Amino acid sequence: MSARNPGMELDLEWVSKVRVNHQAVLKRAQQIQGRKLPKKQWQAAWHLRAVTCIDLTTLAGDDTPSNVHRLCLKAIQPVRQDLLESMGMHDKGITTAAVCVYPARVADAVKSLKAANSSIPVASVATGFPAGQTALKTRLEEVRMAVEDGASEIDIVINRTLALTGQWEALYQEIRQFREACGEAHMKTILAVGELGTFGNVYKASLVAMMAGSDFIKTSTGKETVNATYPVAIVMVRAIRDYFLRSGHKVGFKPAGGIRTAKDSLVWLTLMKEELGDEWLRPSLFRLGASSLLADIERQLYHYVTGRYAAYHELPMA
Amino acid sequence: MAGSTTKSVHDIFESMEYGPASSSTATAQSWLESHSCALGLFINGAFVCPPDRQTCNVTDASGQRLCSTVCAADEDVSLSASSSLTGLKAWSELSCYQRAKVFQSFGSGLQRHSQCLAELCEMVQSPSSVSALVRLVQYYTGWAQLRDVHAPGWTPQGVVAVVVSDDCSLYSLLLKVLPALAVGNAIIVIPGCGTALPALLIGSLFHEAGLPAGALNVVTRKDLSLGIKVAQNPKINCVTYSGNKKEGEMLSRETAGWGIPVSLSLSANAVCPFIIFESADIDSAVDGVIETAFKKKKEWQWVLCVQESVWEGVVARLKLRMAGMKCLPLLAESDRHIVEAAVQEAQQQGANVMQPCPLPSSLSLYPPTVLCGVAPSCPCVVAPPPGPLLPMLSFRTAGEGLTIGNHSPHGQAASIWTEDLTLALESTKSLSVGTVWVNSHSVFDPSLCLSGVKESGNCTDGGREGLFQFLRPSLSPPLPRSSPLSVDYVKFGSTASRPPIPGGAESAGPARAPRSYLQLVGGRQCKSDSGSSVAVLAPDGSVLAYCPDGGRKDVRNAVEAAIKVQPGWKKKSPVSRSQALYSLAASLDLRKRDMAMSLQAQTGLSLEEAEREAELSISRLCDWAAHCEKAGGGVQSLPQSGSALSLPDPLGVVGVVLPDRWTLLSLVSLLGAALAAGNAVVMVPSEKHPLPALDFIQVLQSSDIPEGVVSIITGGRDQLTQAMANHSVMQAIWYWGSQEGCQYLQYTCCNPLKSLWLHCEEQGGSEGRGEGRDWALSHPSLLEEMWRQATQWKSVWIPTA
Repeated sequence: MSARNPGMELDLEWVSKVRVNHQAVLKRAQQIQGRKLPKKQWQAAWHLRAVTCIDLTTLAGDDTPSNVHRLCLKAIQPVRQDLLESMGMHDKGITTAAVCVYPARVADAVKSLKAANSSIPVASVATGFPAGQTALKTRLEEVRMAVEDGASEIDIVINRTLALTGQWEALYQEIRQFREACGEAHMKTILAVGELGTFGNVYKASLVAMMAGSDFIKTSTGKETVNATYPVAIVMVRAIRDYFLRSGHKVGFKPAGGIRTAKDSLVWLTLMKEELGDEWLRPSLFRLGASSLLADIERQLYHYVTGRYAAYHELPMA
Repeated sequence: MAGSTTKSVHDIFESMEYGPASSSTATAQSWLESHSCALGLFINGAFVCPPDRQTCNVTDASGQRLCSTVCAADEDVSLSASSSLTGLKAWSELSCYQRAKVFQSFGSGLQRHSQCLAELCEMVQSPSSVSALVRLVQYYTGWAQLRDVHAPGWTPQGVVAVVVSDDCSLYSLLLKVLPALAVGNAIIVIPGCGTALPALLIGSLFHEAGLPAGALNVVTRKDLSLGIKVAQNPKINCVTYSGNKKEGEMLSRETAGWGIPVSLSLSANAVCPFIIFESADIDSAVDGVIETAFKKKKEWQWVLCVQESVWEGVVARLKLRMAGMKCLPLLAESDRHIVEAAVQEAQQQGANVMQPCPLPSSLSLYPPTVLCGVAPSCPCVVAPPPGPLLPMLSFRTAGEGLTIGNHSPHGQAASIWTEDLTLALESTKSLSVGTVWVNSHSVFDPSLCLSGVKESGNCTDGGREGLFQFLRPSLSPPLPRSSPLSVDYVKFGSTASRPPIPGGAESAGPARAPRSYLQLVGGRQCKSDSGSSVAVLAPDGSVLAYCPDGGRKDVRNAVEAAIKVQPGWKKKSPVSRSQALYSLAASLDLRKRDMAMSLQAQTGLSLEEAEREAELSISRLCDWAAHCEKAGGGVQSLPQSGSALSLPDPLGVVGVVLPDRWTLLSLVSLLGAALAAGNAVVMVPSEKHPLPALDFIQVLQSSDIPEGVVSIITGGRDQLTQAMANHSVMQAIWYWGSQEGCQYLQYTCCNPLKSLWLHCEEQGGSEGRGEGRDWALSHPSLLEEMWRQATQWKSVWIPTA
C-alpha cells in the first residue's frame, strides 16, 4: 500500500461548489466503453492484472468456515498453476488483492490464510453493512472488533441519511471516528451510490469521505438495486483526481457489485487508465469487489493458453 | 508490429500498455483491386478511364501508393455536363416517392458496404463515421418524399456542381450532395483528395440503388482549377462549395460574371471558441477539450477561453489528463517548423507551454500542446497553425468571455460550458456563430442546420433550411448565364457623376423650379456628404428634381448609424417589430395619394396604375408585419436526448440596390423582409427613378420604425455599390442592376465575405413591367425566398441525460 491518506479539514465551500453535468458524464462513459479492448497477450496480461486487483468476496447469510476456507485458497491460487506456467507468470506472485468477508467470518479467514502461509489481507465489511442503519456506537464497536479479529482492511458504509439530507459536517465526523477505530487497518468507504440520488451527491459524498481520511472510496455494497456503473465511477474518480490536485494525497477506488465478466474487468481497467493514469492500475489504488468475476477471467485465460473454451468443471471452484 | 509480438505477458502485465490497434483494410483493398487500382471518372453511371489523361496517385499515411485517379480534362467536363442534363431530365421527372425509394435503397447499400467505406476513409486519412452518413441519407430520404408537400412552388436549380477543397470531410461533402439530389437536381461532384475515393464509391453505390445515369457524376481532379472549369460550363445552374477559405475565395472570383450563383461554406479550419464559465462542470469541460483539440484531423481550430476564477483548476486538470498522451502525427512534415515557430512566438509573448512529452525527433510528429495565457492578438489565436495546438486565454466576466468569443472573423460554432441555464441561453443569443453547443461539442445531426456567420460562409447546409440552397421559386427567373465582361475591379464605381452646372442643358427654366430632395442617413434627412446633387429627369426628359449625389462617406455614415441601432431592433420582440411594420403600412396608407402621384411623375405610369402599386405596397407591408411574429424557429427532434433549437437570426446590416421597375413596391417588399427579420437596411433607390423612394422617407419618419434602422441614399448606382461592397460591416447585398455590377460584387464580396443576392437588369430595356421579376405577384414562395435571404439560422444544442 502506498502512503495513507491522512485526510484534511472539512472544506464545505469546496463541497458546495461541486457541479456535475449528467449527460456529459454519460457521454464520457460511453466513450470509454466504446474503446477497443486489448487483444491477444495484451488481453491475457490485463486479465491477470485484474485478478491481482480483485477483493474476492463472499457476503452471504450462509457463509460458514468451510466456504470461507475454500475462498481463501482460491485467493492464494486464483488461476490454475499450469495456465500461469504457460504464460510465464507462475513465479510472479499472482494472487487476488484480498478476501472480503462479514465481520463474524474474519477469524475463520485469518486462520485459513495463516495455515496456508499467505499474507493476503483480510477485508471485513462493517458499520451495519449493508444499510448502515444502526447506532453509531455499535457501528464503531463493530469496526474495532473486526480489527481485533485480524482484519487489515475495513469496508465501512456511510450513513445515507446524512448524505441525502446534506449533513456533510455530521457525515465527516462519523467517518473520522471510523477511521480512528480502524487504527492501522486501511479504510474503504462505501458510498452506496445507488441510494444517493444524483451524481452531484455522489461527488460530494466522495469528497467528504476523502477529507475524512478514507484510503479507498467504494461504489456500493452490492446489495442495492443499482451497483457499480461506469458513469458513477467516472464521477467518483474525478473526485479522486480533484482531491489529489488539492491535497496531494492519492485515494484508491473500488467498484463493487455486478462486475461479472472478464470483459467488464478490462473496461474498468481502461476507465482507471484513462481517467487517473497507470498508477491507479495496481491493487494499492484499485480494487474490484467481485465473487464470480474470477471464474470468468480464468476461463478467458484458459482460452488464451489452449485456444479452447473451458467447461466450468475444468477449473477449480472457489 | 514486428517488435510487439515478442512482448511477453509479464512485460505487458508490468507496463499495462494498450497494445497495437488492429485495423484491417482488406475490404477496401479488394474494392480498389477490382478496379485494378486505377479509378476512372464516374460519369453516366459507369467508370470511364479516358486515355492520355494525367493521373493522381492516392497514398496512405505511410506514403504507400493505394491507387490512382484520373485528372479530368476539358473534354471530360463537357461530357459530364451533357450527361448531367440527361440525368437531370430522368431524375426530375420521377415522382417524389420514386426519388425517395432510390434514397432508401442507397441507404441500405451504404449500410451493406459500410465496412468498405469506413476502411476507404481510414486509408485516405479522413476517417468518418459511416453511421452518421447513414443517418444523413435517412434524413434526406424523408425530404425527397416530402419535397412537394413542404416546398410547393419551388423547382430544383438544375445541374448543381458541388466543389470541395482537399481538407473537406466526406460528411460535409454529402451534406451538399444529398439535399441537392433529394429535391431533384443532378449533381457533378468535384471531390478533393481526401474525398475522391469515397465519393467514387458513393457514386457507384447510388447507381446500384437505381439513380438514373448522369444524375450523379463524380469528376476527380488535380487542383481547384477543374472546379472552376465545371462552374464556367454553361450547362451548370449553380455551384456550391465546402472547404477552406482560400480556395472558396478563388472559386468565387474566377466565376464572377459567368452568371452562376455560388454559395460558400467555409467551415474548414474555422476558429471556434470553447468557453468554460466558472459555473461549469470543469471535469466534463476538460474531457471535451481533450477529445476535440488533439485529434490528428480536426474539423476546427478551437480557442479555449476560461474564466479567471477557475483557471487554475482547468490548467491542473488539463495537465493531468494530458500526462499520458503521445505525440500526434502532423498532416505534413513541412508543418513542423510552422508549428514550432508559432509556439516560439507565443512563448515570447509570455505564453506558458504545456506539453506531455519532449519534442520527438521525427518531423511528422508533434506533442499535444496547450499555450496557456496567450493574448487574443497572438498569431496562434488569430490564425492558428495546423497541428495539435490549443491556445488558452482567460476572461474575467461572462460578458467578457462572450466578447472574446465573438471577436473573430469566423462564425462557425462555439462550445459553452455552464450549469447555469440562464447564462447558457443568454450566451447562445449573443454569440454570433452558426452553431452553439451547450455543455457539449462537435455533435451533428442533419436535422439541425450548419451555417456560417461572418467569414465562415454565406449559405445554410442541412436541415429543412439547407434544401432551399438547391431550389428556386418556380415564378422567379434564374440568373441568365453570361460570359464575364472586362470589368476594371479597381476603377469600378470610382468615376464621379457630373454635377449639374449653372445654365447647363439640365437646368430647368425659372417657371417651375425643380425641388431639391434630401436623403435619409442615420434617421436624419440630409444632403449628401459631398454637398453635390444630380438632376432627376421626368419621362419626357425635363428636369423633375434634384436629388443628393451620395457616395462613400454617406454609405459609411449610414452603416455606422445602422450598427448602433440594429442590435436593439433585433432584440425587440417580433411582436413589437410587427407592430412597427403595421405602423409603417398605416403611414403609407395615409400618404397613398402622394406616393401615387410621385410614382406617376417619376415613371410616367397612369395614375390608376400608380395607385394600384401603392395599394399593393400597403398590403405587402402588412404581409411582412404579419409574417414577422409568426415565423419563429423550432425545436428539432433528434436521435439523441435533449433539446435542439433552430433559431432565425438577422444578418445584420443589409445593403439593397433597388430595381428600376416597380419602384415603390420593390422597395417596400425588400424593406419589409429585411426589417421583419430584424436587420438594418441601407437602400440605394434606382438611379433613374429615385423620387418615390425619397418621398417614402416621409412615410418612414412618421412610422414607429426606429431612427437609423433604415437609410436611403441616392446617387450613382455603381459608386454606391462599390462603397457598400467595400464596407466590411455590411453582411449582405441584394442587387438589382447591371451585369457589370453583378460581376463586380461577386468578385469583391468574397473577402470579406458577404451573402449576395444578384439580379441582372439591363438598363435601356423596355420601360414595361414584363421583364424580370413580377413584383405584383405575392406567391408564398416569392415571399419565402425574400425571408430566407434576410435570415440566417442558428442551431443550439442542449443535450440532457
